[in-house]
Amino acid sequence: MSTLLTQTEASILTWHNVAAPNDPARRLAAELAFTIAAFEKLRGTLVFEDEPASFEAALQATKETAP
Amino acid sequence: MSGLADLSMIEAADAVRAGNATSVELLEAVWARMEAVNPVLNATIWTDKEDALKSARAADAAVRNKAPLGVLHGVPMMHKDMYYQAGKLSTCGSALRRNWRPTITATVIERLAAAGAYTFGGLNMAEFAQNPTGHNKTFGDCHNPWNPPYITGGSSSGSGASVAARFNYMALGSDTGGSIRLPASANGVSGIKPTQTRVSRYGVMPLSFTHDNVGPLCRSARDCARVMTVIAGHDPRDPTSAREPVPDYEAALTGDIRGLRIGVPTNVFFDGADAQVIAAIDQVLEVLKARGAIVTRLTLPMMDAVAAYGGIVSRVEAATIHAEWMRTDSQAYGVHISGRMYPGYAIPAPYYVEALSRRGPVLKAFAADVFAKVDVLITPSIPTCLPTLAETDIDHGPPGTETKFMAVSANTRPFNYLGLPAISIPCGFDPNFCPIGLQIAGRPFAEARIMQVADAYQRDTDFHSRRPPVLKD
Repeated sequence: MSTLLTQTEASILTWHNVAAPNDPARRLAAELAFTIAAFEKLRGTLVFEDEPASFEAALQATKETAP
Repeated sequence: MSGLADLSMIEAADAVRAGNATSVELLEAVWARMEAVNPVLNATIWTDKEDALKSARAADAAVRNKAPLGVLHGVPMMHKDMYYQAGKLSTCGSALRRNWRPTITATVIERLAAAGAYTFGGLNMAEFAQNPTGHNKTFGDCHNPWNPPYITGGSSSGSGASVAARFNYMALGSDTGGSIRLPASANGVSGIKPTQTRVSRYGVMPLSFTHDNVGPLCRSARDCARVMTVIAGHDPRDPTSAREPVPDYEAALTGDIRGLRIGVPTNVFFDGADAQVIAAIDQVLEVLKARGAIVTRLTLPMMDAVAAYGGIVSRVEAATIHAEWMRTDSQAYGVHISGRMYPGYAIPAPYYVEALSRRGPVLKAFAADVFAKVDVLITPSIPTCLPTLAETDIDHGPPGTETKFMAVSANTRPFNYLGLPAISIPCGFDPNFCPIGLQIAGRPFAEARIMQVADAYQRDTDFHSRRPPVLKD
């Protein structure tokens, strides 16, 4: 069992009192390594915005204006 | 009678309005069809003919009395079993809600009823709308009308199968990662995921607060347009719903796409695509070019961010919603449901907040780049030939089945994080005679535009009007 999976199972149990319900749950939890890698890849690529970063405002700003 | 079941939703509504058919006759026709084919498909969870007959008779009386008629007057329909109707069963596809009856009614159900439609049952679905295949541990898997061992797509499995098998004129689905577009693709019907915030979610079972969408699955883009005109628009009971005006979507279906700029992604959306799917999309482009559209190949920006951020938001939100049941009754879920929710509890809050806070900037950057060059994007809805239920059965399959399972929704998920509208319509068949779906996506609130493109394509092709082999009459 990987260190990440061991830590993840312990963390979920501690913080949420949820136990791994089955083997696919453990396999998918181990795949969180890919999530960590994906977030690492993004570091430095997006800068902090001072303006409000509202998603609804972005929908309005980029919307279709003429059918 | 079976002729009436074969009508499109708009044809059925027009027939009642013109006095060429009664609502009772429509109901009897789809009911007979359902009894004939549903034992193979398993597309329903519950039905209520007695209540539906009351509604049908009332609708027919309104016609006789020359009362004002809505645009869906007298049309019977069933929806994914997660649209609440006060006092009626709403299982959400799960043993945990097998006997649950809500006390409220969804706004979209009320809007459809105001337009004259009524329901006669609840449709099979992935448990709590959480899979892209149509597996269901509690109520049984839903089967594809074109080839029953193959997946229907999910999570709106019964919505796609019932419309394709012509015992339902229209079905609402919900789409958090592709759950309208995937069953539309797999069953050879038309289904639209609107812009995030376009349609009220009040009274609809939540899966992901930020990614859930309500939309129709129909026989054609024109049917979708009529439904969208009825259900879209702000709802005070859903403060997240947009105040954007609702156009007459049907009026936008002119068939004129001259000068329309179509973008075909060179990255992500054709990764691992099967040759038959690529060929079908190439044929689509020829049809649209013949109507005057201009095709451009382009690399989409921000896709790493879309994948990383979009990949965690719904997992965290679903895990949060289901936390109490996951603590106390996790074995009541299908293995693939609880198994996929479980890692959601380990994703750190800063990751989740980062994903949410970047959603606006990522959309802005994506739109500024892409929609300066093209008006719509075209991709396969599912990049591969359709897999079987057995090949994607995590509950009983070997390790690694998860990969095949998740690949089904690879092309639909990005538009949920971006919040963009996207429609799936049929555009061919794979070697197993399962439908291939074409996905058309556009800017925020460009529902009219993408349905216009879909309708233009359907004017020149007949994939949307072909009958699946399960219909033997």
